[in-house]
Amino acid sequence: MVPVASDPTVTGVPSTPARIALVGNPNTGKTTIFNRLCGVHAKTANFPGTTVTMRVGRSQRADGGPLQVIDLPGLYHLEGAEADEVRALLLGDAANRPPDLVVASVDAANLARNLAFVGELLAFGIPTLVCLNMSDVAERRGVRVDPVALASCLGAPVVPMVASRGIGLAALRAAIEDALEAPTRPEPPADRPVAGASPAALATWADGVAAAAQGGLPAAPTDRRTDRWDRLLTHPVSGTLVFLAVMGGLFWTLFALATVPMDLIETTFAGLGALVRQVMPAGALRDLLIDGVIGGIAGTVVFLPQIMLLFFLISLLEDTGYLARAAFVNDRLFSRFGLPGQAFVPLLTAHACAVPGIMSARLIPNRRDRLATILVLPFMSCSARLPVYVLLTSLLFAGRPALAGLVFAGAYLLGAGAAFFTAALFSRTVLRGRARPMILELPGYRWPSVTNALFTARDQGVAFLKTAGTTIFAICVVMWWLSAYPRVAPPAGVTALRAEAAAPGVTAEEAGALTARADALEARDAQARSFAGRIGRFLQPVFAPLGYDWQLTDALLTSFLAREVFVSTMSVLAGAGASGDTDEGVLARIRTMTRDDGTPVFTRATSASALVFFVLAMQCLATLAVTRRETGRLRYALIQLGYMSALAWVAALVVYQGLRLAGVQ
Amino acid sequence: MPTAAVPLTELPPGALARFEEARLDPEAIRLLRALGLVESCEFRLCQSGEPYIVQVRATRIGLSRAVARSLLVVPSAPGAD
Repeated sequence: MVPVASDPTVTGVPSTPARIALVGNPNTGKTTIFNRLCGVHAKTANFPGTTVTMRVGRSQRADGGPLQVIDLPGLYHLEGAEADEVRALLLGDAANRPPDLVVASVDAANLARNLAFVGELLAFGIPTLVCLNMSDVAERRGVRVDPVALASCLGAPVVPMVASRGIGLAALRAAIEDALEAPTRPEPPADRPVAGASPAALATWADGVAAAAQGGLPAAPTDRRTDRWDRLLTHPVSGTLVFLAVMGGLFWTLFALATVPMDLIETTFAGLGALVRQVMPAGALRDLLIDGVIGGIAGTVVFLPQIMLLFFLISLLEDTGYLARAAFVNDRLFSRFGLPGQAFVPLLTAHACAVPGIMSARLIPNRRDRLATILVLPFMSCSARLPVYVLLTSLLFAGRPALAGLVFAGAYLLGAGAAFFTAALFSRTVLRGRARPMILELPGYRWPSVTNALFTARDQGVAFLKTAGTTIFAICVVMWWLSAYPRVAPPAGVTALRAEAAAPGVTAEEAGALTARADALEARDAQARSFAGRIGRFLQPVFAPLGYDWQLTDALLTSFLAREVFVSTMSVLAGAGASGDTDEGVLARIRTMTRDDGTPVFTRATSASALVFFVLAMQCLATLAVTRRETGRLRYALIQLGYMSALAWVAALVVYQGLRLAGVQ
Repeated sequence: MPTAAVPLTELPPGALARFEEARLDPEAIRLLRALGLVESCEFRLCQSGEPYIVQVRATRIGLSRAVARSLLVVPSAPGAD
């Protein structure tokens, strides 16, 4: 008899909650088992000091005590650098206590291959319980596994399950309890693999165990229907058409459905701001609450509907088995630029918003490929760039919508082109190497699990709020402060206008117009004299070669918070009030804005230069916060910021100076 | 007389073959082995072209052309469409 583990939790003196880890090959129903065990009590997190993303859930033991359940990423083996972190976690290291028990999810219909992984766990001496999942699929294929024979061969308990229907859940709970309670377990069989066993030795051992448990090794099933679907979905023509249709549907759903809660969030927070304005006396605290805190929370929460809906839809698609096929459709193009085929979900998502796009890069298993995708992804034109594109193309081609439309489409193409160019460049520099040639398991086609998708959406939403959300909120408050302070006395013109509005004989309508004019002028003056305005003036020489005066530089800096802020800052500086819309009145004011020397702010050359700058620049602190979080290194966020800003500056310079040389003003 | 090993790309769709060797980086070889493509295992080529799809026991594996070219296999039965 050997001890299960040296941890006091197992030897009868519980000091911390018992901890079990769920492991297994991808597509073995591991997540379903996790959801069955933990229900809604789960969150997504990173292991301390590692880049391994896991889900941590809470379940209950038979005595009512807590049971921590950790769902690790799907793994095919424990060898090599990429599995280093997971192996260290399973065996325990200085930062992490090893789990008291590992529950290995095994696909009963594909037993031999899954057992090779179990063999590795056993070879490392990790206390293991085998969950023989998808027994129903195996039986449909005529494969019958004897759990008793299997347990005897493995020297580890085996529980048959159909997790998708909850069959075997009670037995699994009881087996976990037994394994945690029993301080000892039977001596493992003599033929169990040893640590460091070769893959061939593991495969031979797994074949032997599978044959003993199944009464022979089943012949490979020939599934003509799957063959036909695979041909259709991976074919260069039909595969591409299906891909375009599926992605079109996905993004239509995302835009159409997410808009409703996003509008609701914006309206709710605007209403909340208005309420605070009514009930609180004017002053710095009220401004901080309305524009800093409420504005900051709104700026964070507004991302939630897109993130949750996207992960819900991706989870459904992934469950069907389609995503693996779609990865091959895209691999033909992407691999030429050093990007993996799986990058299509993040890159397409980034057209809605880079934040969920970067988060969805978790689908890419290889770290180098994932980093390459995250680094180039913000070049894709997100929806926050739309108002800026609308403003600048309207300034460029007023009254010529066809030309404006062409330039608009060109902006999207320029962004996508820059992403692929950068991916190719990074493959030769900061991220040396090509995207790994695609080797992907093609899971069987099946109906997706709505429950799993709902849990995934909820987990990702909570994870976003807890980590990136807090950073985004802090940034919102700081940027508000830079734009609102120092407080300055209103200029003489504003005081005069207010006095005029209050004078006797002025009608209510006239007074309203005068007050609005005074408010707009005051806002313009406050913006100009704020810290952000002063920084704009200070940094203006850097942007002078691109044709920008201090006002454009100021708008550029404030839009660092989020690109759409560019429009509202320009609107404030144009004296039209803080409007985020680009209606004709605001446009006319912005078009006629002048520099300190009286010349127009927006010439054709400046507008084109600003447009190119906005297509290419990393003008989004929320994206940087998420890059930092998802890559685990500040370095990558800084590379993204430095590279994109430099590229945007150079490209805008070339456009501005080129147009001037060509005589376009 | 033993049949010579050929790149996977030379097999017709539907062919059965025995896996011999992968001329790839160690990480890719590890992944192939973990997916069940170990030395001397029998498999069926379900689809050729981009991607190549092979079936080893109950596992279907999609391979890019670059990977398929690097896999040496021994045909064990004539191809059948």
